[in-house]
Amino acid sequence: MPAALELPATQSPAAPRLGPQGPFPSAPLSDLLERRWLHYAFLTRDGEFGMVANAAWLGAGSSNRQRPFSTCILLVHRRNCGWAASQFNARASEPLWSCFRQPYGLYEPRPLLLRAASGDPGVELMLARTSRPCTNQCAAFAGDHFFRWQSEPGILAQGHWTFRGRTWTDQQAVGYHERVRGRWGWPELGGWVFGFANDTAATTQPAPAHALVFTLIQPDSPPGAATGSVMVWRSGRLVRHFPRRRVSVAVRGLLDRNRVAQVPGLANLLGVAPMAPVPSRLAVCAAMGGDFVALDFACESAARIVIPNETGLAPFSVHEVIGPAEVEGRISGRDFHFATRGIVEFAGGARAG
Amino acid sequence: MPVSTAAGLLVATVREVSARAPAVVAAAARELAGITLGLHFGDGSHALLRAEHSRLFAVAERAPHPDVEVYFDDRALHLLFDFDRRPVDQLAEGSLDVRGERPQVLAVWRTFQLLSQRASGLRSVQLLWRAYREQRADLWSLPPAAPPAAAVPPWGRTAWRALEYLDHRHPEDLDGEGAFGGTIISRARSLWDGGRSEAWWTGGALKDSDLLETMNACRARTRQEIARMIPDREPRAELYHLMREYPSREGKGLRPTLTMAACAAFGGPTEAAVRTAAAIELFHNGFLVHDDISDESTHRRSLPTLHEAHGVGLAVNTGDALNLMAIDGILSNLPTLGLARTLALIHEVMHMCRETVEGQAIELGWIRRYEVPARDEDYFRMSTKKTGWYTCISPCRMGAVCAGVTSPEILDRFNEVFRLIGIAFQIQDDVLNLIGEESLYGKERLGDLLEGKRTIMMIHLFRTASPALRSEMEKLIRKPRAEKSPEDAERIFEAMQETGSIEYAIRLADQLAHEGVRRFEQDLDFIPESAAKGVLRQIANYVTTRAL
Repeated sequence: MPAALELPATQSPAAPRLGPQGPFPSAPLSDLLERRWLHYAFLTRDGEFGMVANAAWLGAGSSNRQRPFSTCILLVHRRNCGWAASQFNARASEPLWSCFRQPYGLYEPRPLLLRAASGDPGVELMLARTSRPCTNQCAAFAGDHFFRWQSEPGILAQGHWTFRGRTWTDQQAVGYHERVRGRWGWPELGGWVFGFANDTAATTQPAPAHALVFTLIQPDSPPGAATGSVMVWRSGRLVRHFPRRRVSVAVRGLLDRNRVAQVPGLANLLGVAPMAPVPSRLAVCAAMGGDFVALDFACESAARIVIPNETGLAPFSVHEVIGPAEVEGRISGRDFHFATRGIVEFAGGARAG
Repeated sequence: MPVSTAAGLLVATVREVSARAPAVVAAAARELAGITLGLHFGDGSHALLRAEHSRLFAVAERAPHPDVEVYFDDRALHLLFDFDRRPVDQLAEGSLDVRGERPQVLAVWRTFQLLSQRASGLRSVQLLWRAYREQRADLWSLPPAAPPAAAVPPWGRTAWRALEYLDHRHPEDLDGEGAFGGTIISRARSLWDGGRSEAWWTGGALKDSDLLETMNACRARTRQEIARMIPDREPRAELYHLMREYPSREGKGLRPTLTMAACAAFGGPTEAAVRTAAAIELFHNGFLVHDDISDESTHRRSLPTLHEAHGVGLAVNTGDALNLMAIDGILSNLPTLGLARTLALIHEVMHMCRETVEGQAIELGWIRRYEVPARDEDYFRMSTKKTGWYTCISPCRMGAVCAGVTSPEILDRFNEVFRLIGIAFQIQDDVLNLIGEESLYGKERLGDLLEGKRTIMMIHLFRTASPALRSEMEKLIRKPRAEKSPEDAERIFEAMQETGSIEYAIRLADQLAHEGVRRFEQDLDFIPESAAKGVLRQIANYVTTRAL
């Protein structure tokens, strides 16, 4: 089995085209900076485990490579135990689960298998959609750089989690999936703050009673290119999108570096340059007319994924942060409030080099 | 104990800041230099504030001839340190008055600015002021400063902005944790307000830190690691108990703090440096055990030295074992730090040990030959080798190595800064042995004179003494320690006072420390500002503000 992930079937010219094609149908990844990824993040209902996985494809560019370069990384977090991570060569089931590429129906269980080359960490999950996906960012910046970020919260997961030599079976989790596609360099992109929170308490219906996804993209140029959004789902239905001018984001404090693990393990061996500490608390607020929503997130534990930079020496860092979150708001006259655990990303750092 | 008057509060604040944030005190003292400030408060209490060298002195009494006088009513006083209230909402007519020459008044305000803006971030200072506010609630007619969490703001829930939301929900994060950064209250900052973006990875760096709290945390964590490293097996009474007991004696925690702070300043987790900090402490203790035997010292850290309590044979063996365990500690970094960093640490340890034994050899040679060097530079060289490397320079370098820095050019940037700081520190230690309280210093008073230690005071005494005095002193230092009486030591001490040697040493230490602080800002300016760099800065300034 090759170390890197095999191309999914939909990339093959012979494969049938399935599902909605969207504005980027089957276009080959030809430019060096053309890329896309599929992202998965789940938290078990009891708050014990969290997982983050990212499968990424990078364009072949002018190199001799005939096919895009692909990587996949899996991180599993256990409360009070820290993180276990694969290298960039995690194995994944084919085709990779994604409602953005396959016409999966709501509540229809489909498999997602991810594991490190060593087998640990690993997850074997059956995923079921409950919510409507949508595009939360279409950003153009730094001349000809751009991307589109599509999100789907409220995904239910049931299955086995392997962490440091032990497997937990039949774990119930709720999570989030996204697809991002575009053409960008890490220094030009600058960084982002992104996160989600699902209300996992309600059990009367499959979909979370409420779910929230926010993004803040922070490119340097052109002036004013930075943008953000907050979206709120109710029972699987997207009920409000707060656009950039209606959103504010603030942070306080710094997370103790001893709570930040650096992954993959190879990054430690190579001695990559340090990154600024992530904040210890985050607030995201959005208001429009009579509607508002506020997220209060406390950073508990983080994993810094060190991503090689194709155009510079300073690596790009994505900090996957897990912690308790509290969401309150009012949409269409209905108040809501829930406390849960969420995952937030603080990404950036390539510009420093 | 809670303070009950405004003057008492000011005195307590200056005491807290002096102990915890020497860099802030040194900066404030530079502004206040030469000015006597008289303070009058609305509750009828008075205080005097003045600066001497890099130290601030505050006493709760009326200043007889102040250069500047300031009156604060209770409300204005709180503007200085109150994180809960906005000054613009507080200042009322007649609540504040200032009298004095314009340049001096401005200097006083710059001092207040430093104390209020930088020192007020210390959690301990905030707790002190909060306790005072709660005690004197009768003076306050305003509603409680911190509304209950999640209460509806006056402008309506739908208008929440993230910055206000954070401040409103978590008005004071006084329950911080972690040695670095956890001791300072940080303000919330906006990353996005609907139109303006600030990257999360820029700005927001903390420049200061609570040195006392940080040192306590680093010392405790290192001690825990040492306890884990020393085996719990036989022979307990003759070896392992002695190895455990000796490092557990109260020390300042300077070396562990430097090691962990340097690691964190270069972006490493402090946990990566704990094993190394513990190893350096073990080396230090091993050196001390042997040093006490060489010097025939009777007390160390307020307790009998190991050879006094258990005999020379066991003490030598325990010292050897401590050094061996320290090497083991360095090697045990291999699985966590990797080969390159562990090899670099071994290289640093070898250098540190070589410098230390060379320094010890130089000093023992002087004593054996009854020689007192003529030049201060000779002392500087010996002191840097004997204590400077393992006390200051090597902990910084090794902490940086733990964070992954192995470039000699970068590591060498620590050398001159901490050479100067180390010498100043050693001179102050020597001065404290003469004029400090034994209970605080931990070594028998005048013990250095009984040992015949070649301190800067001894060198100055021999350089400046009249031929007759010099001859008398030569006779005294030639006596073996066992034959030296307390009266002999007192006589040498008197001679040092006569020749102004102690004052000279204090001034010299001050000059060296100031130069060290200057070099800190110059040589280490490439390290980005952070709470950990703040700790290194506080340690550099600690030498200038240490009470003598």
